[in-house]
Amino acid sequence: MLFGRNKKNPIKIADKKVVEWKYATCGYCSTGCSIEVGFNDEGKAVSSRGVADADVNRGKLCLKGIFEHELFTSAGRGLTPLQRDNWHQSWQRTSWDIALDQVYDGIKTIQDKYGRDSFAVISTGQMLTEEFYTLGKLTRGLIGTNNYDGNTTLCMASAVSGYKRSFGSDGPPGCYEDFEHTDCLIAWGSNLPEQHPIIYWRFKEAQEKRRFPLIVVDPRVTMLAQNADIHLAITPGTDVVLQNALMHVIFNENLQDNDYIMANTNGLDELMAEVEKYDPISAAKICGIDEDTIRSVARLYAGAGAAMSIWTMGINQSTHGSDGVVGINNLALITGNIGKPGGTSLSITGQCNAMGTREWSSCSGLPNHRLLENEQDRKDIAEFWNIDEEFLPKKRGMFQTDIYHAIEAGHIKGLWLIATNPLSSLPNSERVRRAMQKLEFCVVQDCYEDSESNQYAHVYLPAGTWAEKEGVMTNTERRINLINAIIPPQGEAKPDLWIFNQMAKRFNQDGKVSFPDKSADIFLEMGRISKGRLADISGMDHALLEKSRGVQWPYTEQQASAGEAPPPGGKRLYTEPATFRYADGKAKLIPLPFIDNNEVPDEKFPVWLNTGRLIEHWHGRTKTGKIGNNNKYSPIPFIEINPDLALELGIKRGEYVRLVSRRSDAVVMATPTQRVPKNMVFLPFHFHDCANRLTLGLLDPHSRQPAYKQSAVRIERLEDQKAAAQLSMEMRNF
Amino acid sequence: MFERRDNEPDYAVLKSRVIEAGSATTNRYGTPIETVQSDNSLRNQSLNINQDSEIGDNPDRYKQHGFYFNADNCIACHACEAACSEKNDNPAHIAFRSVGFVEGGTYPAYQRLNISMACNHCDDPVCLKGCPTRAYTKFAEYGAVLQDPDICFGCGYCTWVCPYNAPQLDPEKGQVTKCNMCVDRLEVGLKPACSSACLGNALDFGVIEDIPDNRSQAKADIPGFPRTDITHPNIRFQQIRTTQREMTRVDQTAIKYHRSDEPSTTYEESPFIPELDPKQGYQRQWNLKKLLTSHENAHIAFTLSAQLVMGAFLWFFAGSFMSDSMIGVDSFSSGPAYLPGLMILVALITTGLYKLNMHLGKPHRFYRGFYNLRYSPVSREIAGVSLFLAGLVLFTLCAFFEHPFLKALQLITGLIALAGIMIGGYFMYKLYRIEARPFWNHINTASSFIGTGLVLGSLFVALINTAVGVMPQQLNTLLLFTISIGLVIEMAGLCYHRLSLKSAKSEGAASFYEQTTTYGYAYVLRNSLLLLSLIISLSLLVTEYQALWTYLLLASTSLISAIIGRALFYVVVIPTTMPGGFFWRNKGFVEHARETGLADMPQMGVVYEKHHSFNLNELITTIKNTSINDKIDQFKRIFSG
Repeated sequence: MLFGRNKKNPIKIADKKVVEWKYATCGYCSTGCSIEVGFNDEGKAVSSRGVADADVNRGKLCLKGIFEHELFTSAGRGLTPLQRDNWHQSWQRTSWDIALDQVYDGIKTIQDKYGRDSFAVISTGQMLTEEFYTLGKLTRGLIGTNNYDGNTTLCMASAVSGYKRSFGSDGPPGCYEDFEHTDCLIAWGSNLPEQHPIIYWRFKEAQEKRRFPLIVVDPRVTMLAQNADIHLAITPGTDVVLQNALMHVIFNENLQDNDYIMANTNGLDELMAEVEKYDPISAAKICGIDEDTIRSVARLYAGAGAAMSIWTMGINQSTHGSDGVVGINNLALITGNIGKPGGTSLSITGQCNAMGTREWSSCSGLPNHRLLENEQDRKDIAEFWNIDEEFLPKKRGMFQTDIYHAIEAGHIKGLWLIATNPLSSLPNSERVRRAMQKLEFCVVQDCYEDSESNQYAHVYLPAGTWAEKEGVMTNTERRINLINAIIPPQGEAKPDLWIFNQMAKRFNQDGKVSFPDKSADIFLEMGRISKGRLADISGMDHALLEKSRGVQWPYTEQQASAGEAPPPGGKRLYTEPATFRYADGKAKLIPLPFIDNNEVPDEKFPVWLNTGRLIEHWHGRTKTGKIGNNNKYSPIPFIEINPDLALELGIKRGEYVRLVSRRSDAVVMATPTQRVPKNMVFLPFHFHDCANRLTLGLLDPHSRQPAYKQSAVRIERLEDQKAAAQLSMEMRNF
Repeated sequence: MFERRDNEPDYAVLKSRVIEAGSATTNRYGTPIETVQSDNSLRNQSLNINQDSEIGDNPDRYKQHGFYFNADNCIACHACEAACSEKNDNPAHIAFRSVGFVEGGTYPAYQRLNISMACNHCDDPVCLKGCPTRAYTKFAEYGAVLQDPDICFGCGYCTWVCPYNAPQLDPEKGQVTKCNMCVDRLEVGLKPACSSACLGNALDFGVIEDIPDNRSQAKADIPGFPRTDITHPNIRFQQIRTTQREMTRVDQTAIKYHRSDEPSTTYEESPFIPELDPKQGYQRQWNLKKLLTSHENAHIAFTLSAQLVMGAFLWFFAGSFMSDSMIGVDSFSSGPAYLPGLMILVALITTGLYKLNMHLGKPHRFYRGFYNLRYSPVSREIAGVSLFLAGLVLFTLCAFFEHPFLKALQLITGLIALAGIMIGGYFMYKLYRIEARPFWNHINTASSFIGTGLVLGSLFVALINTAVGVMPQQLNTLLLFTISIGLVIEMAGLCYHRLSLKSAKSEGAASFYEQTTTYGYAYVLRNSLLLLSLIISLSLLVTEYQALWTYLLLASTSLISAIIGRALFYVVVIPTTMPGGFFWRNKGFVEHARETGLADMPQMGVVYEKHHSFNLNELITTIKNTSINDKIDQFKRIFSG
């Protein structure tokens, strides 16, 4: 058989000469994959691989995780603190002490002059939980501003709000193992293969064993929609109508689980009265799904032994985001699909530690889902932190989106941005840009110096990234997993925890409040105030987390001391009757009237703008835009446009076009595809100065999350393609 | 050995093949799956991976392996590509595996099919046969086709012949690399990195023709996958879900795949027929700059100069040894243009060869061009042209002297040169008869090469003779007649080419489309100039008018048409390769990134074409470090393999 060389040379295959593998949890999405980074004998991170015995990912990684070791030394990392008096001046290098003093002085000056709440802190879902907790303690306990929120408002706020409204508390009740048990899966505005590839793989594994039906609700023919048994190509922003119509059919045909409803819920009559209005015939006209399909989906879902729903931004990023979540919960509750294997309503979270910030950051309240509005919660925490109870506000302050409106209005004068980049990520960039220019004092703390929001900062604090720091993160299925500090931060950059602790020293000169240095100790402190609560983590410590490849909460001290090892997975919430978090243990069935306040296409702006994620990119591309083996699959912004529309407009494949909305414009490359309908374009949001120049982002009344996915644009053909290419390129430093 | 963890997940572990009664011992092409018999001396040898002399304990080590791809399941998550590039430490612009797309249907009945493809470790590896340096070996172990970049001199011919875009020519390093089947993982019983990383449960790997658990099909055709009779690729597909009738490539290539309702009866037949998809409309353009500044210019310079010199040499040879004054060729061999003419010919072909050599990724490894005389038309072409050059140079030297002995010697060297023309010329043509490049794989390639040789060669002789004023009428007529014949041959070839391609069910149709749209005006100009040349040539023939300016005019029309024609030949060729994506593996985007400067960003995954320097040090080191015996062995292996 052999032919070619009879005398063969030795085969050369790349050998990265890994001498040590170090454990971490992936820092991209919320799936929470266990990852090992390989180091060579020079101590350089050269390789990444999935941890084989981790229940979440079972050895797999997506393309971002596979190249995560390249993050540490990627371009644009901040290596030294920077300072300047005005944002239009050039940066001066400075020392940590001076920079931190300046931040302290800046915050104090603003607060003294305009009041405590005139300084805002915007955090993230990207840091480690101990860091969130410490920042919360610093902000709530010492700085004392109530305008403290995280960028999770942009992704998960609707899920949080919907869970709270339905179940009395945040906390996704299901887990990945539910795929193994479900008899029907509805994916609402969730494109698992692209957004959460490893969760998709877990789903696929389950589906290959047991061919349960998949229903996908998405206006775009995503890979998941294409592979679905039923694809509901819904009109953007009308999920609530579809949900009401499904419930209408379920009640009308008496398919609901009456025993479950009786034992576990309140509000059935009000709900039934509302959904009575949504007969499939009328609903079809609004949501674009024909009555027949509505009926058959309702029957399939309600008739399944166990049925589950997953959702992501298609639901959350809408003016009815919170309602959409409640609608999903309603469907689950009336069919008895909460807390049982394969029956759940599982929000697929976005950022790696969005869950950690929801649980522990004190952004929307106090640690471990405590509420500022609850006197006992305030008292407990004030006591635990050794601060004056009255120092805590009695009501939560502004959401991130409202903070920006307050900057615009001049109510907020100073801002501390931590690991988030609103200039790229908030809707209507132009409005954000104007607001940022008004700030009297702005601090940006980020692992990347080239984060666009840094343009308007007065002080820049270089932070460590991902596994340059030790701490934990919580994933979509409530699994807390460990990140080791496997490599020191680049240059003079410091872990965020260190930065918070240094700031705390300045605000805590009497030493009243304790700020432990070590992440592991902070975790134990958090464990103490989690006892007896829904998210009880008192049985865990860092060593156990690594050993178990992550532990799902709750896992209590009692379980630990009784020698009960945490299960590898499959843990659910609300498995016992009437254990929801409302006082009577019952969940609420909430009627959802539909109000159509979306920006919809009209004569001037005739095309839907749908935004979304690409598998190869992470958020604003500060990470993936610099890793060639991720970035190359979509290095410049583009739209998916229906070929029939392209033909009408005279746009050819690969040409640049200009999108214009009521806010501003964006230059993007056109890729014609029938994946989108003729009245819609799809534009990935990852690129700076692009999608969010166009988006309106009306806010959800409950969650204050912006509706990124429903805007209207018009498309203009560009005669001078060379100039367009140049313009597009100028906006891409990475 | 590759580090195998104690707890490797099941999906990453190769399942040992259980030989059941009735299970296939040969593959669908009739080749035994067992690569070598149990008593073969090739057994139980180490692969010497990174100098490790251990021998893997994989029980299926001597069975042909291949990838298995369930196209219904692929979600284009790129994990296979990432895992491959991570393992092989590839920069962004190089990938041994790529996922491409074809799509079809109308919203919402839309369908995209993602195809992940690397090397198919073919039974009949055309890369191996084509490679002039013998950088390829098909191993008895796993039937893996491996390539050694340390041998490669970066000509890229393997990338021309492979229908699957498997070998990757790195413009930065000037060498080819490719999928190595992760033989280091196979040796310890693990599947390749790509298969182990798959998140759609689409990509798998194993002994060829084995159908993995939970799968029911093993076919060799899906839309976008080239026909299998070219190389007998070792890849099997499952693709059960009915595709749309027309599946279109999302990259720039103007091709779609039309599903035939006839089920294929033989493995050569794919039910998905490539057809023209005029993506960019029918607007005719110039694009002269793009046409004339391509990286293939070295090939234009080489083929044109070689054909001119070969064509002209025929006259010089005839002039030297045919004293029949009826033809009049002897007159110029005694004239003042003879010696300078020969010297110009030597200079021309040397320049052509120099350009060609410097076009290599590693020009200092030029001597390796002969290494694969057994299989490679490139090696044979190089050998033939070298023979011609040697003959020509000696012939020219002999021409300086008037000694009878040298006259005889000149005849011999002339005959050597003629043999060089026969061999070199034939293989120069033959090497373009590539199944995976329908635009070239046509008799037109021959007519074009011959026509060019006749036209330019004769024009050269006519010009120098007219310039020095030695041009008997008979010779003039004969030259013009030959030029006209050459032009007619070329035009006939082009007409036939056009006829064959226009309606071709292959990438040839897309090439023709590119030729008549993107380069439409250049194409028209070339054709017009050809016609004009023929008109001039025939008019001169008829009127017997003889002047330097007429020849200069004819030379310029012919030469311009030859250059444009040859540039079109190289630029519009479209291989029967795998579909790409919209950005990655899209020739259109690569060109755009290079034109606009996007390619300056390394994370773009696009690098510029570039020329590589002649590394004299490496050459000297190689010469020094290779013993005489090794050199002799090397030489022997040109013939023995």
